[in-house]
Amino acid sequence: MTSRTSQELAELEREAVEAIEAADSLPRLLEARSQVLGRKGTITESLRGIGAADPADRARLGRELNLAKQRIEARFADRRAALEAGARERELREHRLDVTLPGTGLRSGHLHPVTQLEREMVAFFTGLGFSIEDGPQVETDYNNFEALNFPPDHPARDMQDTFYVEGGNLLRTHTSPVQIRAMQRLEPPFRFVVTGRVYRHDFGPRSSPMFHQIEGVMVDERTSFGDLKGILYAFARQLFGARVDLRFRASYFPFTEPSAEFDVTCPNCAGAGCGTCSQSGWIEWGGCGMVHPRVLENCQIDAERYQGFAFGMGIDRAAMIRFGLPSIHVLFEPDARILEQI
Amino acid sequence: MRLSLQWLAEWIPLEIPPEALAERLTMGGIEVDAIERSGADLSAFRVGHVLEREAHPNADRLSVCRVDTGEGEPVRVVCGASNVAAGQKVAFAGDGTRLPDGTAIKRSKIRGVVSNGMICSEVELGIGADASGILVLDDAAPVGAALSDVIGSGDVALELSLTPNRGDCASVLGIAREVRAHFGGALCVPETAPREGARAAKDDVRIEIEEPADCHRYAARVVHGVRVGPSPDWLARRLESIGLRPINNVVDVTNLVLFEFGQPTHAFDLATLRGATVRVRAAREGEKLLTLDQEDRELDPDDLVIADAERAIALAGVMGGAETEVRAGTTSVLIESAHFAPARVRRSARRHGLMTEASYRFERGVDRAGVARAADRVARLVAELAGGEVCAGLVEATGAPAETVEEIQLDAERVNRVLGTAIADAEIQALLSRLDIQHRRARGGGDAYRIPTHRNDLARPEDLVEEVGRIYGYDRIPTTLPVAPLGPVHAPPLRAVAEQTRDAFRAAGLLECMMLPFLRSDDLDRLGIGGEDPRRRTVAIANPVLEDEARMESTLVPGLLRAVHRNQTRQIDAVQLFNLSRVFFARGGSTLPEERVAVSAVITRGERVAWYEAQDDRPAPFFQAKGVVERVLRDLSRPAEFAPEWAEPYHHPGASSAVRVEGARVGSVGELHPDVAARFDLEVPCALLELDLSALAAQGAPRTAYAEVSRQPQSSRDLAVLLDRETPAGDVLAAIQQTGGTQLVRTDLFDCYEGTGVPSGKKSLAFRLVFQRHDRTLVEAEVNRLVDRVVKMLGHRFDGELRNAPRREE
Ligand SMILES: [Zn+2]
Repeated sequence: MTSRTSQELAELEREAVEAIEAADSLPRLLEARSQVLGRKGTITESLRGIGAADPADRARLGRELNLAKQRIEARFADRRAALEAGARERELREHRLDVTLPGTGLRSGHLHPVTQLEREMVAFFTGLGFSIEDGPQVETDYNNFEALNFPPDHPARDMQDTFYVEGGNLLRTHTSPVQIRAMQRLEPPFRFVVTGRVYRHDFGPRSSPMFHQIEGVMVDERTSFGDLKGILYAFARQLFGARVDLRFRASYFPFTEPSAEFDVTCPNCAGAGCGTCSQSGWIEWGGCGMVHPRVLENCQIDAERYQGFAFGMGIDRAAMIRFGLPSIHVLFEPDARILEQI
Repeated sequence: MRLSLQWLAEWIPLEIPPEALAERLTMGGIEVDAIERSGADLSAFRVGHVLEREAHPNADRLSVCRVDTGEGEPVRVVCGASNVAAGQKVAFAGDGTRLPDGTAIKRSKIRGVVSNGMICSEVELGIGADASGILVLDDAAPVGAALSDVIGSGDVALELSLTPNRGDCASVLGIAREVRAHFGGALCVPETAPREGARAAKDDVRIEIEEPADCHRYAARVVHGVRVGPSPDWLARRLESIGLRPINNVVDVTNLVLFEFGQPTHAFDLATLRGATVRVRAAREGEKLLTLDQEDRELDPDDLVIADAERAIALAGVMGGAETEVRAGTTSVLIESAHFAPARVRRSARRHGLMTEASYRFERGVDRAGVARAADRVARLVAELAGGEVCAGLVEATGAPAETVEEIQLDAERVNRVLGTAIADAEIQALLSRLDIQHRRARGGGDAYRIPTHRNDLARPEDLVEEVGRIYGYDRIPTTLPVAPLGPVHAPPLRAVAEQTRDAFRAAGLLECMMLPFLRSDDLDRLGIGGEDPRRRTVAIANPVLEDEARMESTLVPGLLRAVHRNQTRQIDAVQLFNLSRVFFARGGSTLPEERVAVSAVITRGERVAWYEAQDDRPAPFFQAKGVVERVLRDLSRPAEFAPEWAEPYHHPGASSAVRVEGARVGSVGELHPDVAARFDLEVPCALLELDLSALAAQGAPRTAYAEVSRQPQSSRDLAVLLDRETPAGDVLAAIQQTGGTQLVRTDLFDCYEGTGVPSGKKSLAFRLVFQRHDRTLVEAEVNRLVDRVVKMLGHRFDGELRNAPRREE
C-alpha cells in the first residue's frame, strides 16, 4: 500500500460522502460506511499505509486522514439519523387515523340567551357598584301601581295590561315594584339593579305574556338626567358595540319625572333604515327618567334632598337584537335545535 | 289619534315638511307612529257645471252631458253614473289629466259619441270609497276652479300615540300649541261666538247637578229651527280625514268641535226631553239606558247619567241615549258641554266596555276653561250649517270646582340640578312661556309659574322641569357620568345558588329552556299529584289569556314533559333540558303566595352506563339524571344523599329517590312513570330531577376549606361480592367506608352484574378499595387486615360472599 497524496485523499473523501448521501436505506448506508471505514475500507487502509509513507510526510498525512475520517463519520451519523426518522414516520403512518371523522361528543350544555344577556347586563352594573335586588312576581296593587304613582281609575293603568290573580293581587307588570320594596328598606345614597320576569295580558305576534326586564335605580343628592344618559350610553355600547348611538324621546311614566323613552341604533342597518326598524334606523329599547318625588316620598325618602334616576328595558329585546331573532316567541320555544344554537 | 295636517295648518303655520314635524313632535313626547299620505294632488281637476244631461243614443246606462268647465265652450262628456244630473257641480278631468291611479284621460269615442273628458267619482279621485256614482260638489263651488281649492288635496295624516298625561293634545288645538312651542308661530283659533236670537235659552231648560263632586260644570245651548241633513263637503271630508263617518250636520258639528278643542259635546233632540230640567245624577238601581250604539245597558249606581224628568238620557261623558238622539226631523237641539270628573267617567266606560272619543278625553281631563267655548262653537256651526236660531245665553250649573294647581314655584337651580344642565333663568322662562306657562315673581320671592287651564297634568316642580327639558331638547342635555362612592355590592344569596346551578347544569351538558310559566288545567291530574299535596295550592289567574292556562306553575315538570313532546314531534328524541324558574303556592285570601326558586331537568335516552349490564337501555337516563344531581350538588359544595323511596307519584316506583342534603329533602330524581309518559304522549324513556334551590339557599353557604392531601403511596384492592339482588349498593358502599375507617380513602363501585355465573336472586358487585395514610407507607399486612375486616363485615351484615380472593392493584 502506497501512501497517498493530499489530492488523492480529498478525492477519497468526496467519494465517501457521495456514497453516504446516496444511501436510501439503513443497510445501504452501513454498506457505504464499511466501504470507507470498515476493516477493508479505503480510509482504514490508508491509515494502515501511513507507516509506509515518507517519514517527513507521515505526521501531516496522519492528521489529514484522521480529520477526513471524523468528517465522514459526522456525515454518516447525520444521514443515519435522517434515515431512521423517516423509517419511524413511515412506520407510524401505517397506523394513521382519518382525522376528518367527527370528534367524540362531549355533550355541550347551553345557557338560555336571556340568561346570557341578563348576566352580561348585571355584570356591567355590579361592576359600577350597583347591588342586586329581588322581589316577588305576584305583587300587590300597591307595590305594582299605587306606590309608583299610578292612581286608581287613572288611564296610566291602561299602559300595562295586567293579569290579576284570585284574591286581588296581580302578576307584576314590570320590575318596578322591587324599587318600592328596596327603597322602603334602604337609606340614600344607593344604587341597585333588579332583573326578572314580568307579565302583561297581551299575546300577539310581537308580544309575549311573559318577558324579562332589567331595571336600575340610583339615588343620591345630585345624580342628574345627564348622568342617566351617560350610564345608558356606556351600557348600550358595552352590549352592542362602541358605535351604537342612543336617542332619548320625551315620554310619560307615572313613576319618573322627567321621563324618556330611549332607542338604540338599529344593529341590522347601523341606522340607515331597514325593515327591522321600520325604516327609522332606531329600535325602541326602554324607558327611563328621574325618580318621581312622590315615589321617593312613598318610600319615606326626603324628596327635597335626594334625587336620582331609574331606567328599565327588556332583556328579551336585547337578546333579539344580539342574536337577530325574528320574534320574541323563539325564546320561549323549547326546541333543542334552537336552544343549543344561541 | 289621527290628525290631518291640512286641518292643523289652518290653526298654526306649518312651514316644515311632515317628516321634520313628526320627528320634532316625537322627540318632544308626542309620538308619531306613522305619516300617511292620503289623496293625490287634485289641482289638475276642475269644478264643472253640468248644463244638460241626455240619454246616450246607443247605450241605456250611459248619458251624454254638456259640461261648463270654465274655459271656452262647454264640452260634451259621456258619463256612466246614474246619479249625474243637470245643474250639478262636479269634478271634471279634461283631456290629458292623470288620475291618481295613473290612468290618463283622453278624448275618445264611447259607443259612437265623442267624450272630451270624464266626470269623476270619489274612488277615481282617490279621496273616498264611494264608487256608486259621481262626486257631487257643493252648489257654491265656482266653475273652473281647481278641485284642490274646493275640497283640498294631497293631505297628510299623522297617526299619533298620546301618553295618558297629555289629554290636552287630543285635539287640533292641543297639537297646534305643541307645534307653536317647538317652532313658534301664531295660533289661529276659529270664531266661536254664535249670533244669538231674542229668545232666551233659560226659558227652555234648566240644569241641576245632583253629583257636584263629579260634575264640575255643565253648560247648555239651545238652537231652534234646525234642518237636519247631510253635512257640507268640507265638513264630511274633514271628519273622513281623521277616520270618522259623517252622520248628519248636527252630530258632525259636535264631532268636529271635539277634535278642534278636545272638549266633547253632545246634541239632544230637545223635543224628546220630558220636562224642562236636565239633571246630572247617579243612575238608579236597575235603571236602563238604550245607548246610541243600540245597546240596552243596565246602569250601575256608580254611573253618572244625564237625565230628564223621567229617565236617563245619556251616560255622562261616555255616550248619549238613542231615544233623545238628533235625527232627520229634529228641529230643536240642546247642546251639552260639561266637565266631568275623570275617574267617574273612566269607571263607567270600563264597566260598560265603551271607550269613546268623549270618554277618552274626559278620563284624561279636559280644559276647565273650555266648556263654554265648545258649546258656543257647536251652536254657531249648527246655526250656520243646519239653519235655526241660537237662543240667547248659556244655561249652566256648576258643581264643586275641580282640584287644580294654578301656580308652581320653581327655581333655576332645581331645573339644572335635576337635568344636569346650566340653563339661564331667562331661558327657562322663555322655554316655559312657549307653552303658555308664564313666569311671575312668587309672593315670598323666588320664581313661580302660572299653569294654563288646559295643562292639568302639571302639578309639581318636576313637571315643569320636564317641560323645560323636552322643549330645550333631551338631546342637548350634556351626557355625564355620576360620581358616587365605591362600596361592596350586595346580592340576594339565592342568586348565587341559582347562577351556580345554571353553570353546573350547563357543564353537565344540559340545555336551559324557558317557557310560559302557566299550568294547564289537567296537568296535576296527569302527574297523579293528589289533593293534599302543596302543589295543589296553585295561584289562579282571574283573567287568563287562555282559559286552559289559568294557573301559575307549582311544578316545572309538566312544562318540561311538553318540551320533550314538542321535540319528539320534530324527531328529536334525545334531549336533556333544564328549567330554572319560580314556582308559586297560594296562601289564600289576599296574602301574597309563597314563591320558591326551583330547577327541574329531564333527560331522555341517556348515555349507557359502562358498568351497568342491563337488557334494555331503560336505566341509562336515570343514572345520568342522578349523576347530574351529584354533580350539581358537588358544584354547590353540598354532599347529596339518596335513598330508595317512591319520591314522586309520577316517578316509576322502581326507579325513584329523594335527594337529601344534611338530612333535609331538597329534591328528587326518578324515572318517569310509564303511565304518566303515556298521558303526555311520550315515547322515549325519561328521567326527571328536581331541586328546590330556595331550600338549598336557606341552608346557608357551605364553607369550602383545604384538606391536606397525602404524599404517601397508596394500595388498592378489588373485591367482587355476591349479594342478594335487593341489597342496596349504596348501603354496602357506606358500610365498607365505615368499616375501612380513615385509612380507606376511596371506595369505587365499578361493576354490577346479574346473569350467567351469578345465581338467580343474586347480584355481583365489584368494588375497588384504596388505602393510604398521611404519615407513612402502609405495609401489606396492615392493608390485608383492613380488607379482612371489610370482608367479614360484608358476610356478617349483608350475607355477602366473596367471589374471589381480593386482588391487589398497584
Ligand atoms: Zn334597521
